[in-house]
Amino acid sequence: MPLDTSAYSLALLRVDGRRWNELRRIHAQIRTQAAADGSSYLEMGHTKVMCVVTGPSEPGPKRGGMTGGVGGGGGERSSTADVSVSVVIAGFSSVDRKRRGRGDKRTLELQSTISSALAASLHTHLHPNSTIAISLHVLSQDGSLLAALINAATLACIDAGIPMTDYVVACTAGSTSTYAANDEGADPLLDMNHQEEQELPSLTVATLGSSDRVAVLVCESRVQVSRLEGMLAVGVDGCKQVREILDRVVREKGRRMIQEGTIEKGMSLDDMDID
Amino acid sequence: MPREAEPSLNERQFVLQALRENLRLDGRPFDKYRPVELIFGEQYGVVEVSFGKTKILAKTSAELTVPYVDRPLDGIFTIATELSPMTAPSFEVNRPTETEVLLSRLLEKTVRRSGALDTESLCLVAGQKCWSVRVDVHVLSHDGDLTDAACLAVVAALRHFRKPDTSIEGGLLTVYTPAEREPVPLSWLHSPFCVTWSFYGDQGEMALLDATLSEEHVRVGSCTISMNRHGEICQIAKLGGTPVDAVALLQCTNVALVKVKDFSAFLDRKLAEDAKRRDKGGLMAELSAENDR
Repeated sequence: MPLDTSAYSLALLRVDGRRWNELRRIHAQIRTQAAADGSSYLEMGHTKVMCVVTGPSEPGPKRGGMTGGVGGGGGERSSTADVSVSVVIAGFSSVDRKRRGRGDKRTLELQSTISSALAASLHTHLHPNSTIAISLHVLSQDGSLLAALINAATLACIDAGIPMTDYVVACTAGSTSTYAANDEGADPLLDMNHQEEQELPSLTVATLGSSDRVAVLVCESRVQVSRLEGMLAVGVDGCKQVREILDRVVREKGRRMIQEGTIEKGMSLDDMDID
Repeated sequence: MPREAEPSLNERQFVLQALRENLRLDGRPFDKYRPVELIFGEQYGVVEVSFGKTKILAKTSAELTVPYVDRPLDGIFTIATELSPMTAPSFEVNRPTETEVLLSRLLEKTVRRSGALDTESLCLVAGQKCWSVRVDVHVLSHDGDLTDAACLAVVAALRHFRKPDTSIEGGLLTVYTPAEREPVPLSWLHSPFCVTWSFYGDQGEMALLDATLSEEHVRVGSCTISMNRHGEICQIAKLGGTPVDAVALLQCTNVALVKVKDFSAFLDRKLAEDAKRRDKGGLMAELSAENDR
């Protein structure tokens, strides 16, 4: 679908009225499902995802039907917890209703990316022989899907109380130039929506907290190598902003839990170090 | 389900300690590929690529079919990867492992989505007849760095391939046998190549090119960068793993460009050699139905 993004150079405003360095509205909630060990709901613009974390728990019975025996878990003993991710993309999430089977390679790739990115930041060695099951549901898609999924999974893991080094935060970045045009005046863009993702080169960056260390870098479009540095810089900077937003959500929820008395008595708000 | 044998603690520590002392098991520098070999088969579109002990066979084939209803002007282009139990006992037929899924996704993004093959040129009669080009990638032996080797094999196979010549006269489509008319090459737009970096150390500060299987087992992360020789990135995939400094990743990209240019020159040379070998008596120029544009 050809779309006119050429108007950008006139007013320096993007199709949805943002400037180049503006994020879309991020709205996040944690502990949305009372029954789950950890859960979260996240919106990045119109991209909406839900996440439920179960675990760390003992791995379920193997299909082989082995019960009892040494180790209990079908003979598979591992020194670290296993992070298993499942992503379900709802049929109604995008404009055209696309049927995606279980074995869809794109979904499998998303799952393996999220699992491997989180496994590097979670202290999985503290939970040997156990599984952390992360289940993600995509309710609505409007670009930056992988970024939203990573952010939601991070929040849910925090809610589940799984020890981790830092937030794994993600956002997307793009460039206003097409791949062929080597124009130096091209601006990098932050947080791409679906229209922009279709039209312009973009990449997804996930960093560990507010550091410059990149956990995930996925670029699926053709772009000049000289554009990469600018896009990456904007993306890493965006991740820092996202971290601030997510951190605020977690702290706010923590504060409310204390006020509502969810946390045991004897601990007043003043005793706790929540800045 | 058979599981892959993991390296023992001794092996693991040996490889890592050696890397810390700037040594690789086969004595290569960190940014050097193993000897790359590329052999074209007797048929067009068959190629065998080996990086040291990693060996990959790619075969291209084409057949006439009906185009997809939603894309009547495009031909069909598929890449099928197969990791059989012959490669390693942990691979099973009809049950794709994670390695296989990621490999086929990477090839798909690198070659197909970057528009290396002009699929519109595969269409013969809009909505009715088109070529379906298929590349089958078979991994014969797995000793690490499958992605780079498979990508080189796919690109080489497609560039080497010749499809039967066709003509349309008065709505009548004729497909010529090789005996009637010399087959024609595919309409090829650019040649992307993959370069895979493997990271080691707590912060992923050591980066290796072309890791062998034992090195792949102990790595903490990897990043595959696909580029063509014009410096266009076709795809980057750092799918999780230990976080690596952003500046280091940019440096990796710059080195990747140099490697991609080497690959490109290497493939051009091999293709020219093969063309010369087939051109017995210098008759090819006369037999060809191609026009210089």
